[in-house]
Amino acid sequence: MAKYFQIIKNTWADMMTYRLNFVLWRVRWVIQRLVVYFLWWAIFSQREELFGYTQSAMLTYILLSSIIGTIVLGTTTMSIGNMINTGELSNFLIRPLSFFRYFIARDVGDKLMNLAFSTVEVLLLFVLLRPPIIVPTNPLIWVWFVVAIAIGVVMYFLFSFLLGILGFWSADIWAPRFLSFVMMEFFAGGLFPLDILPTPLFALSQSLPFSYFLFFPLKVYLGQLNSAGAIQGLMIGLLWCIGLWCLMQTMWKKGLRVYTAEGR
Amino acid sequence: MKHIGKYIHLWTKLTVNSFLVSLTSRLSAILFFIGKLLRFVFFGVFLIVLFSKTQGIADYTLMQGIFFFLTFNLIDTATQLFFREVYRFRQLVVSGDFDLVLIKPMNPLFRALVGGADPLDLLMLIPYVWALIFVGRRVGDITVTNATIYGLLLANGFIIATGFHILVLALAIVTTEIDHAIMIYRDVTSMGRLPIDIYREPLRSILTFVVPVGVMMTFPAKALFGFLSPGLIAMSLLVGGLFFLLSIRVWKYALTKYASASS
Repeated sequence: MAKYFQIIKNTWADMMTYRLNFVLWRVRWVIQRLVVYFLWWAIFSQREELFGYTQSAMLTYILLSSIIGTIVLGTTTMSIGNMINTGELSNFLIRPLSFFRYFIARDVGDKLMNLAFSTVEVLLLFVLLRPPIIVPTNPLIWVWFVVAIAIGVVMYFLFSFLLGILGFWSADIWAPRFLSFVMMEFFAGGLFPLDILPTPLFALSQSLPFSYFLFFPLKVYLGQLNSAGAIQGLMIGLLWCIGLWCLMQTMWKKGLRVYTAEGR
Repeated sequence: MKHIGKYIHLWTKLTVNSFLVSLTSRLSAILFFIGKLLRFVFFGVFLIVLFSKTQGIADYTLMQGIFFFLTFNLIDTATQLFFREVYRFRQLVVSGDFDLVLIKPMNPLFRALVGGADPLDLLMLIPYVWALIFVGRRVGDITVTNATIYGLLLANGFIIATGFHILVLALAIVTTEIDHAIMIYRDVTSMGRLPIDIYREPLRSILTFVVPVGVMMTFPAKALFGFLSPGLIAMSLLVGGLFFLLSIRVWKYALTKYASASS
C-alpha cells in the first residue's frame, strides 16, 4: 500500500513541475465554467423557468457539474496509449507493481489535487457571483449522490483505460479519444441537462454510458429522481461498470499477447 | 512583390507537407473529421432546442442565432486551418529547435504561425460556407452594402484572431507555456458562438472592449443584419488594426527573450 501512496505523492510532484502550466490549467478550468455559467445566467435573465428548470436549479446544475467533472473526469490514463506505443509499458510489466493499480493511484492523486483547487475556486465564484443555489436537506439524497459520483468515477476510469489500451492495436490513439471527448461533451450533460433534449435524443443519451458521468449524479442531487428512479439509475451504472470491467480485462489480456514492446 | 511570391511559395510547400503528414493515417483523419462534424452538429442541435423553446434570445430569431453560430465557426475554423502550427510551437521552444527556424532566411513568425495548415479544417469549411449561404438567404433582406461590410468585418475578425495567436506564440517564447494559453483563447472566444448581446453587463462590455470577442464574432453578423452603426464599424476596424500591431510589438519583444534552451 505504501508504494501506492508514494505514487500519489509523485503525481502531485509531477503536476507541480511546470507551475505556470498548472496555474493556466486552473485558469482555463475556471473560464470554462464561467462560459457555461454566464450563458445560462444570460438565458435566465428574461425568464424564471425554462425546460422545467428554475434559475436556481439550472445554475446549481451548472456550477456543481464543474466540481463533479473534476472528480469524475480528471484522469491520467490518457498517457496509457502512448506508453504502449513507445514501449514504456515494458518498464511496468517487469516491476512488482500492478499497472492497473498504478493508474488508480495516479488518478486518486490527480483527482485530489484538482478537487482541492476546484473547491476553492468554486467557493470564490460563489462569493463573487452569489448564485441562488439548491442544497438538499434529505440525507438520503446525499447518500445516493455520493454513490452516483463513485459509480461515475469507476465508469470513466474504465472507459478511459479502455481507450488507452487501444494502443496495443493502433498507433492512432488520439483520434478515438477526440471522438469520445466530443460525444462526452454533449451526452454527459456538462453544458446543459440532457432532459431538455427532444425525446429521441434524450433516449439515445440514456442508452450511452456518458450520462452517468455528470447528468445522473446531478439529477440525484437536485432531487428530481425519486428513490426508485435513483436506485434504477445506480443499478444501470453498476451494470455498465461490470460490463466495462469485463471488456477491459479481456482487451488487456489480448493486448498483452500482441504487444511487441515496439520502440524499446 | 518578389518577397510576397517567395512567402506564397514557402506557404504552399509547408502546407502540402502538413497535409501529407495529417493524411498519413486515413482512419485517424476520418475519425477527427467525424468528431469535428459531430461537435458542430451537437451545438447546432442545442441552439435549435434553446431558441425554439425560448422563442428567440435577446430579440434574435432562430435563423439569426444560427447565423451567429455559423459566423463563429467560419472564423474559428479558418483560424485553425491557417494557424495549426501554433499548437506545435512549444516543442520547438523547449527543445531549442527554434534556433533552426531563426537562422533560416525567412520570418520566424511566418514559420511559427502558418507553417502547418490543417486539411481537416479546410474540409470543415465546405459545410460551414454552404450552411452560411443557406441560412443567410433565409435570415431576412440583405443589402449588398451590408454583405460587403460583413466580409470586411469577417476579415477584421480574422486579423484579431491572428493577433491572439501571435500573443500566444510570444508567451510561449517567454514562458514555454502554450497548450493551456491557446485553449484559454479558444474557451473565451467560444462565448462568441452566441451573440454577445445576450450576456449581461459588465460581461458584455468586457467581451467588446477588453477581450474583443464581440468584435471578432458578433459584429460581422450584426452588420449583415443592419444592426451595427457606422461608428461601431469604424471602431471595430480600429480595434482590429491596433490589436494586430500590439501583438507584433509583443512578438518582437518576446524574441529578444528567447533563451535557446536545450539546444
